[in-house]
Amino acid sequence: MTVEEIRGVNEIDRFPIGMRVLAVDDDPTCLKLLDGLLRKCQYQVTTTNQAITALKMLKENRNRFDLVISDVYMPDMDGFKLLELVGLEMDLPVIMLSGNSDPKLVMKGITHGACDYLVKPVRLEELRNIWQHVIRRKVESKPQSKSNNNHEKSSQGNEGGDQNVKLNRKRKDEDEDVEENGHESDDDPSSQKKPRVVWSIDLHRKFVAAVDQLGNEKAMPRRILDLMNVDGLTRENVASHLQKYRLYLKRISHQANMVVAFGGSKDASSYMRMSPLEGFGDFRTLSSLGRLSNAAYAPAGILGRLNSATGVTLHSLMAPPLVQETQNKLRPVNHQNMNLFQDIPSSFDQCSNKPNTQLTDFSSVEESRIFTGTKLADFNSIDESRMFTGSNPLTDPSVVLGSKPSLKLSSTGSDSFNLLSSSSNFLDQNGNQPSNFSSNQLPIGENYGYSATVSGGIRSSITATAAVPLEAHGGGLVGEIMQNVNNQSLSNQKNGQYSKQDYSQYSQNAFSTLASLALASGGGGLSGPLSHGGLNGGTSALFKTEMPGLETKMRSGEDGFVVNNIYGSLDDLMTGMTKREQEARMMMDGEFGYDPYAFGPCT
Amino acid sequence: MEQNHIKKQINSARNSLFQQGYLDEQFIQLEDLQDDANPNFVEEIVTLFYSDSTRLIRNIETALDNYPLNFCKLDDYMHQFKGSSSSIGAKKVKEECSQFQECCKARNTQGCIAAFRQVKHEHATLKRKLETYFQVSPSNSLYNTHIISRQGA
Repeated sequence: MTVEEIRGVNEIDRFPIGMRVLAVDDDPTCLKLLDGLLRKCQYQVTTTNQAITALKMLKENRNRFDLVISDVYMPDMDGFKLLELVGLEMDLPVIMLSGNSDPKLVMKGITHGACDYLVKPVRLEELRNIWQHVIRRKVESKPQSKSNNNHEKSSQGNEGGDQNVKLNRKRKDEDEDVEENGHESDDDPSSQKKPRVVWSIDLHRKFVAAVDQLGNEKAMPRRILDLMNVDGLTRENVASHLQKYRLYLKRISHQANMVVAFGGSKDASSYMRMSPLEGFGDFRTLSSLGRLSNAAYAPAGILGRLNSATGVTLHSLMAPPLVQETQNKLRPVNHQNMNLFQDIPSSFDQCSNKPNTQLTDFSSVEESRIFTGTKLADFNSIDESRMFTGSNPLTDPSVVLGSKPSLKLSSTGSDSFNLLSSSSNFLDQNGNQPSNFSSNQLPIGENYGYSATVSGGIRSSITATAAVPLEAHGGGLVGEIMQNVNNQSLSNQKNGQYSKQDYSQYSQNAFSTLASLALASGGGGLSGPLSHGGLNGGTSALFKTEMPGLETKMRSGEDGFVVNNIYGSLDDLMTGMTKREQEARMMMDGEFGYDPYAFGPCT
Repeated sequence: MEQNHIKKQINSARNSLFQQGYLDEQFIQLEDLQDDANPNFVEEIVTLFYSDSTRLIRNIETALDNYPLNFCKLDDYMHQFKGSSSSIGAKKVKEECSQFQECCKARNTQGCIAAFRQVKHEHATLKRKLETYFQVSPSNSLYNTHIISRQGA
């Protein structure tokens, strides 16, 4: 749905005039100033001084706004958290605002998915251009339906951004040329907002298969599209998805680079321990991967950006029980929204390292299941050795709350493992419990994606990505994941955010699709390639990461890093996925009452 | 005549505020936002700032009474305060805020206390000057504004 469509007929001709902005800032002076400036730009402004209120408004009707501007420092919720939540659940462009121009904060904003970062005091000129973020999103998301309307929009929206409009138009033309049906995938509620291709597990699987077949370097959208042979999918959809996917891979590989050498799988066995994974074939590898995935997830924030819940789950998964002593780098922010982890948040406070203790508290939360023990957060700083302390938190599915957000995925291989292990554990443990399973599945899947990549070091992460990136929303996940992966420094925060609250809604959609995918990939895909010692250098070129060293390491098979294998065994993955998918779907629906195909407000 | 005289008064009052460094160009932005739809925008926002900043000042004072000083928290409070001050163009106030934050970073207790005194001083001085300025300005009415959530039409 185009902006105009959302807004109503009157406004169609006048974009960016009348663009609906939600401004959030606890400081009344700044808020009033923002309000005045935005009105001067002729936007439709809604203000609130509470982030919670803002979220509520957005949840009620995501279509009510085109853009969100939020302060970073707010008492009731960290701006970054809000950013993640909004970006993840609602896929709205968010601009951050702060009195602090510290580049680190700016970086944080970007990695958390902000489209822009403004420094107070805000000036009118800066606000005059913010509408471009709305257009950019529309263009990138490539709405499929109503290209005519889009055309109209383009022509009308011309005043401000000729280039953007033209680009829009050009894309629309291409769309029309390429797509046959074009609207199929948008026939769900979410299409009201924005016609986006929903990257279901199946779709993504096909995508991954196609990319794998072509080879990562050679994979071109047109060819992928042909290989996929899916009606209604346009080259643009594929291109955008591919871009995100690649970013993700890059990020993961980058992360993997940072991961401490696995150091020897001294704890290879610990991986094993972690993941009984009966049900999942080779989940053991998962555990090892988990470590890697942690690294991948370091930028929890990034994951947050992922449209799909997978991002979220990852975070949660990241905190595998393995890490007993992870240094908790979770920022308090994460906790704010984590209903689930009420107890955990305390532990995640910046300096606390008590990941283990938290896990038990989540039993009550159903959603927490989704977030299998995210001890991950802890992992960030954990040494590898510590990583495999062998804790098995997963036994308790609820514990898995995972939302603990892996947060610190950055840089430690152990982190990734945790993720993996947790996921794997999760899988194992929850095998019997449908409810848990579903929740677990998702995260695992997600983690899986990541962990896989991580374990291999770079490779594993990459593979994981490939396997997992379930894009609930048009490839958002993948893209996001990639971004996240690259941002090692991104810590749990993001994870935290996704954890719960926001994810409940999001998870429905995301999880339903992701879950199946995740599971599939996690269970099947990863298992296959992950088998210990079974690292094939043969993973598709896709994951060619920069760490040849790791590859070797992986070959040792001690850690059973998935690395490379993930792609190599796409078939396995597929099989696994199929299997899991069914299970997941079953569970998910039952458990969370999700309608896999109803993406609801979250695009 | 009378009007011209008043206008001159207003102008000179305004100019001196800028010249003496009490206000910067951000204040001009505020003035730009004042129009027929928002005839008292500047005064409203300044009033809002002063009522809100009282609260912040109180917080800081309380924090400054707790030894040892929690520099982190103080820095946070000041960050907020600085944000609002800069939003209305309160130049000198902003500068003193920065000074305070430097002392926080250096964990300089005495420095913080002294800097905060300066902040309060500048804050009060500007308030007086602006009140005078508004008195001579065309629009004298003071609105009591709240930040409310408005429905986007």
